Amino acid sequence: MNVRARFPIPDSLFPMSGEFVFATAQYESGDWDSAPLVPANLIDSVARYTSLPIAPTGAIVALASDDLFRFPLVYLTGHLPVRFTDAERTNVRRFADRGGMLFVDDHNHDIDGAFHKTAVEELTRAVGPLSQLPNTHPIYSAFFKFPDGPPNTSHELNGWGDNLVHSHLLAAMRGDRVAVLYSNKDYSSEWGYHPDNKRFLSIDNTKFGVNIIVYALTR
Amino acid sequence: MQPLDRVIRTRRALAATIAARAVLGGVATVLLTAAVLTAALRRSGVTTSSVVWLVAGLAGATALALLVRAWSRLTVPGVALWIEERVPALQYALVTAVDPAGAGPGAPFLEREIERVVWDREAGRAMVRGLGWPVLAALGGLTAFLMSLRVGVGVAVERDRATPSVTATAARDVPAPFARLVATVRSPAYAGGQEVRVESPASIAALVGSTVVLEAPGSSDGVTAYVGDRSITVQHVGTTWRTTVTVESRPTVVRLRHASAERLVALEPRSDSVPVVRLLAPARDTVVRTPSGELQLSAQAHDDIGLATVAFEYIVSSGEGESFQFRSGTLGMRRGDSGRELRIDASLSLDRLGLKPGDMVHLRAVAHDRNNVSAPGAGASETRVLRVARAGEYDSIAVEGAPPPEADKSLISQRMLIMLTEALEKRRPTLAHETLLSESRQIARDETRLRKRVSDIIFQRLGDNPTGEEGREPDEVLPADSASPVVDSTRRDSVRRAAARAGRTPREIAASDSADSARAALLRAASTATGRGDEILDFAGDETPVVAINRPLLEAYNAMWEASRELDQGETGRALPPMRRALAAIQRARQADRIYLRGKTPAVVVDLARVRLTGKEHGAASTRLARPPTDPAAARRAARLAAAIELASRSPAAAIDSMVLLRVEAADAAPQLAAALGDALAAMRSGREATGLLVRARRIAEGTLRASGQLSGWSGVW
Repeated sequence: MNVRARFPIPDSLFPMSGEFVFATAQYESGDWDSAPLVPANLIDSVARYTSLPIAPTGAIVALASDDLFRFPLVYLTGHLPVRFTDAERTNVRRFADRGGMLFVDDHNHDIDGAFHKTAVEELTRAVGPLSQLPNTHPIYSAFFKFPDGPPNTSHELNGWGDNLVHSHLLAAMRGDRVAVLYSNKDYSSEWGYHPDNKRFLSIDNTKFGVNIIVYALTR
Repeated sequence: MQPLDRVIRTRRALAATIAARAVLGGVATVLLTAAVLTAALRRSGVTTSSVVWLVAGLAGATALALLVRAWSRLTVPGVALWIEERVPALQYALVTAVDPAGAGPGAPFLEREIERVVWDREAGRAMVRGLGWPVLAALGGLTAFLMSLRVGVGVAVERDRATPSVTATAARDVPAPFARLVATVRSPAYAGGQEVRVESPASIAALVGSTVVLEAPGSSDGVTAYVGDRSITVQHVGTTWRTTVTVESRPTVVRLRHASAERLVALEPRSDSVPVVRLLAPARDTVVRTPSGELQLSAQAHDDIGLATVAFEYIVSSGEGESFQFRSGTLGMRRGDSGRELRIDASLSLDRLGLKPGDMVHLRAVAHDRNNVSAPGAGASETRVLRVARAGEYDSIAVEGAPPPEADKSLISQRMLIMLTEALEKRRPTLAHETLLSESRQIARDETRLRKRVSDIIFQRLGDNPTGEEGREPDEVLPADSASPVVDSTRRDSVRRAAARAGRTPREIAASDSADSARAALLRAASTATGRGDEILDFAGDETPVVAINRPLLEAYNAMWEASRELDQGETGRALPPMRRALAAIQRARQADRIYLRGKTPAVVVDLARVRLTGKEHGAASTRLARPPTDPAAARRAARLAAAIELASRSPAAAIDSMVLLRVEAADAAPQLAAALGDALAAMRSGREATGLLVRARRIAEGTLRASGQLSGWSGVW
C-alpha cells in the first residue's frame, strides 16, 4: 500500500522553510492516529514557551516513506500491536542512524500489553535494544528542569493500566544522542486535549513535550 | 611548724573553698532558675515578677544547703587523710602524726619525715579544681539571665483561651505615679478562675467576664480611672490604691490619670467559642420501609473551655401538604463535668416513636458549654433524616442503608498478586505457619475480590446480574475444606452450587435450572471450553460467540478459583501456576481485536500569533468600573495613624498611647490593622526597631495591603 500517495504532504509543511514541523508517524499496523490532538497541543506549548520557529499544524509522515528523513523528530503512538513492514523497519533504522529522533509513546500504558511488547520487539529489531534512560539525562533539562526524571501522568498516579508508576523512559542511543525515546507513561492520553483547554490546568503538563522537541532540535 | 599546725592551716583553706563553692553554686542556681522562669513568663506576655525571685531564692538556698554539707567532714584526721590522698609520698605519716592515739616514741621521726614533704601546691590545685565548676555555673547562670531579659514580652504563644494574656510596658516609659502598676486578671469561674498577675500592664486579652484589678502603691488621692468615658471607683486599701474593672464584650481602654500623668491599659475581650459537634452515627440520611427496631446514635463534641451537656435531639414530623404535626424530644443526655471532649452514644427505639408511613425523624446532637457570663454557647451537629416510605413509592424509591459508608473497592491487579505470592513463597522457610497462613489468606481475599470483578464482566456480557457471581462476599474467608466451585463440567456447576448455598431445595434448584437454562447452557459450554488445565484454548467450532468472546476470561476465572483455594490453605507454591495462567488469560483477553469508533480527526491549527501574544486584539476591552470611594472611617484611621507615627519621633509615649487607642477602636472594624498595630506597639515598648512594622500598619490602614484567607476566584483572563 502506498501510504505516501494516500496522505500527500504539502511541500509547504516540510522543514525546508526553517520552521520545525511536528510529524506523526503513520505505520501499516495498529491505530497510529490514536492521539490526534497531541501535535497541536505540543505545537502550542513550543510557541508559548520558546521562540523556535514552528509550523502551526503538524504533519503525518509514513514510516516507509522517504519523507521521513525531512523531519528531525517523529512521534509514534497507538494502542494496538505494532508490526513494522520491512520498508518501515529499514527506514526507522536509517532515520535513527542519520540523526533523527523517534519518540514512541505507549497509548495503552500497560507494560506487558500489546503495544509495549510488539513495539519494543520491533524497535529492537530496527535500532537495537532499548535501555533505561538515566533520570539525569540532558533531555530532562533541555528546556524545563525535571530533576526527578520523566513527569508522571495522571494515568499512572490513578493506578490505571498496569498499576505502575514508570520511573524511567527507555531509549536507543546513537553515540551520546537519543535516537529512539520510548515511553510507556501514556503521554498520548495526558497531552491529548485541545490546546485551548490548557488554561484550565494549574500546571501545564505538556512542558516535558517541549523538552523532547528542544532536545531533538539541538542535539 | 608542727604537722598539726600545717594540717589546721590547710583545713582553713579548705573551709574557705567549701564556703566559696557553696555560695557560687547557690548563686548559679538562683540565676539559672530566674533565667528559665523569666524567659517563660516573658514569652507568655508577663514581665518579671517577684515570684520569680522567690522561687529562684528557694532553689539557691537548697543548693547552698546541699553544697555546704561538706563542712561537717572538716575534722583534723579528715583533712590529714584528704592530704594523704593527694600526696602519696607522706605514706600515712601525717595521719599517724595527727592522731592523738598515735603519738609516742616515734613522733620525732614522723615529724622529720613529714617536714620533708610539701603539699601546699597539690592542695591548692585540688581546691582550685573544686571551685572550677561553680564559677563556670555562676557565669553561665548570669549569661542565661541576661539573655532571658532579651526575650520579647508578649510574643504570641498558642495557649489556653481561658488563660488571660497580658502585654507589659517597660518601666522607663511609664509616668511616675503608675510606674509600679500591677494588674491581677482573674478569668471567670466557669473557665477555672485562673489568676495572672503582671507588673506594668499595657494591654490585657481575657475572656469576657474576667475581672481585672489594677493597683499601685501610694495614696488614691488625685487618681482617677475611666473605662471609655465612664468613671470607675478608685479605692484606697492599706498602702495601695486599687480599681476593678470587668472585661466586656467590646474592646475598651482603662484610662488612669494623676495630675498631668496618664496611663492607658487596653482591655481586649476574648470570646468563648461554641461547642463543635459531629454526629458519627447514623452516617447518612435513610429511608425505612418498616419503622421498627433500634437506631444506634453516636456523637462527638468539643469545646475550647469546657462542656456542660451533650444530648441527642429528635423531631418527628408527620403529615403532608400543608398540614404537619411535630413532636420533639431529647435522649442520651450526658454532663461534661468541665471536660473539653465528650462522646455520647444512645439508641433510638423506632417502635416507641409510633411512626407512620411518610413520617420523618430529624436527628442531631446538641452540646452546651459552661459559659454562665454571657450565655451558654450551644453547638449542634448536622441533621440526619430518617424517613418512613409510603406504600405508593415502594417501586420507585431508592433505599440506602444508613451506616456503614461504602467500602473501598480498589483492587490489586493479578500481576501484583503474583508478585506478592512469589515474595511470600520466598519468605516461606523463615515464617511461622500461622504467619504464613495469615498472609496467604490475605492474598486469597484479594484474589477473590479480583475474581469477582472478572465474574462481573463475564456475567454482564452473558446478560445476567453482574453481581450474581456466587453469593460470596469478597472478604469472606473460604473454609479450608470447601469444595472448589470451579466452572468445570466434571464438578458441580456454579449455578447449582449457588442455589445450594442459598439454602434452596433440589426441586427449587431444578426449577432454577429450567428458568436459567440459557445461562446454564452458556456456562456449561464455557466449562467445556475452559476446563482443560494448562492448555491454551482455541476457538471451538460449536461455541456461541458470547462464550467465544468470554472464553479467556472464563479461563482466568477458573484459574483464580484454583489459586484462591490453594492460597486459603497457605500453599503459595501451588497457587502460583494457576495465578500465572489467570494472568496469561487476562492478557489474551486484552489483546483481542478492538473496535474504535471515532469521528474525523479534527484539524487543529494553532494560532501562533495569539499564543505568542504578538497578534492584534480584535475583541472589545472589558468594561472598567470606577473604584469604590474609600471608607471614611478607614481614611480617618489612616490619618490618625500617620499623625501618631509622626509624633513618635518627638514623644514616643504619646505616640504609643495614640496607637493603643487606635488599636482598640480598630479591633472590631479593622482587625488586621489592630493586629499590625499590636506588633508595632510590642516592638516600640521593648525598644526594638519598629519602622518596618509601622510601615506595614500604615499600608494596611491606607488599604494598599490586602490579605485574604483564600485564593481569589479565577478571573476568566488567560
